Amino acid sequence: MFGLVGRAVESLYYVCVGLWTVAKHTGRAPITKEFPDTMPDLPGAFRGRLALAVNPETSEHLCISCRQCERVCPDKCIDITAHKSPETGKLELIDFKIDHGLCMFCGLCTEVCPTTCIINTNDFEMSDYSREALIYDLKKLTLTQDESAHYFSKKYLPIPKPKPKPAPKPAAAAAKPADGVAAPAKPAPPAAKPAEGAAAAKSAPAATDKPAGDAAATKPTAEKKADDSKDSEKEKAAPEPSAAEGKAEPDKTEG
Amino acid sequence: MAPEKIEALTSTRLKTDEMIINMGPQHPATHGVLRLLLTLDGEFVKHVEPVVGHLHRAQEWQGQNRTWFQYQALIDRVDYLSGMFTSWAMARAAEKVDGCQVPLRGEYMRVIVSEMNRITSHLLWLGTYGIDLGAMFGFPFYPFREREKLLDLLEAISGQRMMFNYIRIGGVQSEAPPGWFAKVSEFVKEFPDRVDEYEAILTNNPIFIKRTKGVGILKKQLALDYGVTGPSLRASGVPLDLRKTKPYSVYDRLKFEVPIHEGDGDTFDRYVLRVKEMRESNEILRQCLEQIPGGTADELRERRKACNSCGKADCSNCGGDLMIMAKKQNAGLRIKAGEGFDAIESPRGILGCYIISTGGDTAYRFKWRNPSFCNLAALPDLLIDHPIADIMAIFGSIDVILPDVDR
Ligand code: SF4
Ligand code: SF4
Repeated sequence: MFGLVGRAVESLYYVCVGLWTVAKHTGRAPITKEFPDTMPDLPGAFRGRLALAVNPETSEHLCISCRQCERVCPDKCIDITAHKSPETGKLELIDFKIDHGLCMFCGLCTEVCPTTCIINTNDFEMSDYSREALIYDLKKLTLTQDESAHYFSKKYLPIPKPKPKPAPKPAAAAAKPADGVAAPAKPAPPAAKPAEGAAAAKSAPAATDKPAGDAAATKPTAEKKADDSKDSEKEKAAPEPSAAEGKAEPDKTEG
Repeated sequence: MAPEKIEALTSTRLKTDEMIINMGPQHPATHGVLRLLLTLDGEFVKHVEPVVGHLHRAQEWQGQNRTWFQYQALIDRVDYLSGMFTSWAMARAAEKVDGCQVPLRGEYMRVIVSEMNRITSHLLWLGTYGIDLGAMFGFPFYPFREREKLLDLLEAISGQRMMFNYIRIGGVQSEAPPGWFAKVSEFVKEFPDRVDEYEAILTNNPIFIKRTKGVGILKKQLALDYGVTGPSLRASGVPLDLRKTKPYSVYDRLKFEVPIHEGDGDTFDRYVLRVKEMRESNEILRQCLEQIPGGTADELRERRKACNSCGKADCSNCGGDLMIMAKKQNAGLRIKAGEGFDAIESPRGILGCYIISTGGDTAYRFKWRNPSFCNLAALPDLLIDHPIADIMAIFGSIDVILPDVDR
């Protein structure tokens, strides 16, 4: 009998100790965050949505179309369209697509990128109504100069000035000797330009189907194209409307 | 059935037929998707058959079909509560095959992040174990509060809360961001007080004791027979902890106890042991922060200003022990031909990885020895003759994580 009373008292004591600990917590400041109102303070290393940075100082696109990121991606969700520019002989980026629906945010692509172009931003709110909307194209991926500057400083290590000069200057320098020295090379670009204009005109109906942003993104690059790029232009134009259709369909069904 | 047995059954009028029911795969209290095929006699369990494989993702096959570099990112997903350990096991096995030597600072960083990971894993276990036992009110959130702090720190250093991809073949991926070490030592200081709080609520609570003492006794011999490892084995009184019995990395330089519980190995002992282990991990963290060559990342950055972070192997600020990575991490990461096995002590037990490499950029064969799978094997024996209400108490106490079982 006495043992039972003793045990009851002991139990009560320990329950009270526990409850006192719980009671102490009521006096403490809450640790939960009201998410949509207070955004979490994310560290620079955070692996969120992928984006392509521009040079924070010159606003020039950092991608050199080396396709390292495309090659390393375990999920094969990066799709790069690039061609060799006939004028400068350098690779030029036409389109860059990342399917964020496939991406697992491992960050391997950002590690292998030689120019720290592709980076993980701190943005994680990217839910959308269709899977197609998660495929981001070049325009959607490219960060503004300010955003790039922000992420370059936030991520500490990447160098903010990854040689802005070599890209435009050697390009210009390469173009000049080509003009001066290699005479046969000279007529080619002007000859290509009217043809290119025709090509652009041909692809114009296709282009009108595209979203305005996409067309704007392809036009500046299209001007620099040569005959051999027509094929790639056609290839690119072909899947594009289907993608547009794909986008339209879910909308219809939803409507 | 033998005639006398049938007679015994019919003589007690209350006895009815045995019933077979499914528990899972989507039972809210199973941590993951485990299906238990229970044969019940009234309230009591007569036979259990765990049906595994619902979360099978062919992790070994994936390892054989992806490059070393790519697979490193996937491997955290095997045991998502302690991703550092799976990465570490693979890295150690690959380093053994490759013969590359991890720099000392890299080893210390590995111990720091993985001990932090061990604490988060045990904290999550503690919180969800409270839920398994019916403590739905507020307790689960106390461990989660500390876990959140640690996950934030791990996120700051690795980039993600759980899929770290931080420990790599040859070292660790990056140096800590500014102020990281200070935050870790702050945590290390306050953590013992927090553990006292959990203990004040649980350890002597009469309801908790009633639910756990004498329930699900895992006998020493049975545990050894089934190959149970980790805290569940140590709670049964077998002092097997690879960190102590076969020290790897820098564990031989650290002073810590391996808690052994000399009880019967019941559910309560496993609880006590994990709480003790959290304290020990905290102690390991404290020592690592003191011993790490080069000091904190901030100090090291100051020192490296002198040589402008040259990164040369013979530099007194960048090279030697102060490096964190011995092998260049790029898409073409290759491991020399050979085969090797290495095991580490994960929060759930001995986690081993066996590798055959042919020298290319993909592995020829991967084999994982997952502690959860072996620990789960002992579950049927533990559940027999316990009421249904105890199933979750026992299952929770052996701390199985289902992706680790099915991989
Ligand atoms: S983060 Fe990983 S999965 Fe996503 S695009 Fe980059 S490499 Fe591919
Ligand atoms: S690795 Fe970088 S530079 Fe190369 S294609 Fe990808 S984003 Fe462009």
